[in-house]
Amino acid sequence: MSRGYLPFALRRAGQAVLVILLAYVATFVVISVLPGDPVTATLRNPQNGFTEEQIARIVSYYGLDRPVLVQLWEALSRFVTGDLGVSLRSNRPVADMIGEVVPSTLVLAGASLGLALLLAFGIAFGVRYLPRPFGPALRSVPSLFLSVPGFLVGLLLIQIFSFGLGLFRAIDADSPWATFFAALTLGVWVSAQVAEVLIANLDREAEQDYAGVARARGLGQARLLLRHLLKPSALPVVTVLAVMIGEVLGGAVITEAVFGRTGLGSLVESSVASQDLPVLQAVVSLAAVVFVLVNLLADLVYPLLDPRVTVVRPEARVAVA
Amino acid sequence: MAPQDRLTSTLERPESTVAPLLQVEGLRVAYGGHEVVRGVDLELGAGRSLALIGESGSGKSTIAKALLRLLPTGGKASGRVELAGRALLELPERHFRRLRGRTIGFVPQDPGNALNPVRTIGAQALEAAELVDELAKPDRRAAVLETFAQVGLADPERVFLSYPHQLSGGMLQRVLIGLAVLPRPALLVADEPTSALDVTIQKRILDLLSELREGLGISLLLITHDLAIAAERADSLLVLKDGVAQETGPTAEVFAAPSSDYARRLHADVPALNPDRYAQLRDLGRAGAPKIEVVAVTKSFGSLTAVDDVSFSVPAGTTHALVGESGSGKTTAIRLLSGLEQPDSGRIAVAGEELRGRSHASLRSVRRHLQLVYQNPFTSLDPLWKVERLVREPLDRYRIGSPRERDELVRETLTAVGLGEHLVSRRPSALSGGQRQRVAIARALVLRPDVLVLDEPTSALDVTVQADIVETLLRLQAEQGLTYVFVSHDLSLVRQLAHTVSVMRRGRVVEQGTVAQIFDSPQEEYTRTLLDSLPVGAS
Repeated sequence: MSRGYLPFALRRAGQAVLVILLAYVATFVVISVLPGDPVTATLRNPQNGFTEEQIARIVSYYGLDRPVLVQLWEALSRFVTGDLGVSLRSNRPVADMIGEVVPSTLVLAGASLGLALLLAFGIAFGVRYLPRPFGPALRSVPSLFLSVPGFLVGLLLIQIFSFGLGLFRAIDADSPWATFFAALTLGVWVSAQVAEVLIANLDREAEQDYAGVARARGLGQARLLLRHLLKPSALPVVTVLAVMIGEVLGGAVITEAVFGRTGLGSLVESSVASQDLPVLQAVVSLAAVVFVLVNLLADLVYPLLDPRVTVVRPEARVAVA
Repeated sequence: MAPQDRLTSTLERPESTVAPLLQVEGLRVAYGGHEVVRGVDLELGAGRSLALIGESGSGKSTIAKALLRLLPTGGKASGRVELAGRALLELPERHFRRLRGRTIGFVPQDPGNALNPVRTIGAQALEAAELVDELAKPDRRAAVLETFAQVGLADPERVFLSYPHQLSGGMLQRVLIGLAVLPRPALLVADEPTSALDVTIQKRILDLLSELREGLGISLLLITHDLAIAAERADSLLVLKDGVAQETGPTAEVFAAPSSDYARRLHADVPALNPDRYAQLRDLGRAGAPKIEVVAVTKSFGSLTAVDDVSFSVPAGTTHALVGESGSGKTTAIRLLSGLEQPDSGRIAVAGEELRGRSHASLRSVRRHLQLVYQNPFTSLDPLWKVERLVREPLDRYRIGSPRERDELVRETLTAVGLGEHLVSRRPSALSGGQRQRVAIARALVLRPDVLVLDEPTSALDVTVQADIVETLLRLQAEQGLTYVFVSHDLSLVRQLAHTVSVMRRGRVVEQGTVAQIFDSPQEEYTRTLLDSLPVGAS
């Protein structure tokens, strides 16, 4: 594994940077081909009270009077240095606005991933080792989870635990219980996909020769699971989770709306409503950065976890006949 | 007890026990309503060895799994199985589990898949050491290393730290045997322990098993499809067919006078025991001018020279065998021969036509004269196609004849390889292994090639089926004057079938000659090692 790992890591990191830049460009293009000119419409809205002088300054700051390609180049140059621009709506730096809401979303995403893993592993173990009819019945749980929309789960949880049992006040969105149920709403959905992968992998690994040989060596079901089946079955979950990050970010928008939390999701929601393009551009690019980094991390960690994975380029491999 | 003491002291067992160690009476195993083992009796004394012989589907592996109570879900065993006086089938699982590994050791068939790929060998070996109650935790590692050394692993420390994919098949099988004998079981069940290994390694593994059995007094239940191995390694035999015992008794007796038809047939079909069975049929045809000429061919992949200065020539109407272990360059040699790879240097000519430096299109026309039959008919045929379409495809590709003539050719060829009319609309899944390989041969023959390259064409088949295929191949050669290049690791089969032989090792031809020269007076050390590895049967 160690041979060629550094070149592999550098190559993957280089690809990651490229993907992030492309994602920024793609977002920029999508926004600039959108119909209408929300920028000037917002700026000239009398309610916002910009003076002509201010408008001219903002327009030249964004280079809106220049060709699109030049605009793209300048926006990209600012993005690379970490300057995300200024909100059209609140006139504050976008970086500050995002910085305010990110912690809340991180808490939600982290908690929901944790809950999702707990649920997924619980379901997968249950499927294998609970006696009939409970174990087999658990098999249908992931598809049930997948087929119920997230907002419905959220509304049900609020209905039962907030309005019904009075466990938390729906208005107080940042209380621990409210956070827990918000995370659960998001986590249920993520857990379903992880559980499906896990159940399928455990089934497959249990059929492998080595599982039978290990049992012939005197291992019981519990030790067989923990020592032998778990690791090869759980390794692909790393990849699944990395891909799921995008879904978690997307799901956060809905969950935050349902639970009335402030976060990246609510920021996206309000900036879409007010056509606050710099904020949208920044949030979408940020999502791309997170997605790419998480997947980069998964790619870099995987060869360290699975001894069979080699990081040598395919063409460098010697064909042994 | 210190690990050293444990390993040097053999278990003390009474010399002559009244009751045998393992006694099985009326064992039946069924999946759903389908019985695969139908009333088998067997007996194995302490320190003795018994071989269960049979072809695929005979139920031999099922018996092994039933003894270990590791039948797949849906499998149910009944009858009486007693090990050292304890009835095994009636024991509750948690009691039986204590016997697995401790009292009954298991050596699996395919060492490459028998260890967890993502855990180190050491971590898995410690599981076997845990089974030894008197072995304190700090001593386990030492006991494992000691055992590795005992089973002939040169660098136990390195093996301990390795992952399975870093070791060869032979080393892995040594590891697995080590793990099985470490807790000193009374009975070792070995399920085809060498069928996935090269011949020279096969012999060493079998020697190791015999050694451990004698040294440690472990009884061995050897499951094999190879009558020659069974004859050489077991005190007594049990011949199985369709889940029923055909014959049982001491090895020498069964060999001297097989009483059942099946045992006689098996005996006649094993190449190692009948080197001259096809001599007459083989020598019917007449050798012509050289059909294939390979001169000083070299092919490298990166730093590995897969084929190194190889030359041979094959007269028309004869069979040339390329013999060697895995990694010897056989496969690369036939890829070169069929134009799938280009040599770095040297020349190859098939039927007078040079292969080197040809375009794809003109290689196609050469390939019409040279067809391949692959090793495994279970994977080389498209499972969704019917026999007729499979055989017809090459004709369509080369646009030969009118549709009616193609139908005619397909039918003719199927008859020639011994496949009846009623099979033409079947898919491969509805055919037996032997029938599938006949389809593969028909597919190659339908273009009326001059040369067939046969890549281990029978290694996936049972011996009785292998005998039928070999006979068909020899008959076709005599009738149509075909030239064969036959690639195999099975020396006994080569002896039955080939006219000339090239022995390959690490990409080079180490020895070349007629079958008689190679087998009766080998000149090279390596050839002698290969020949010595062959099981000689009962002496």
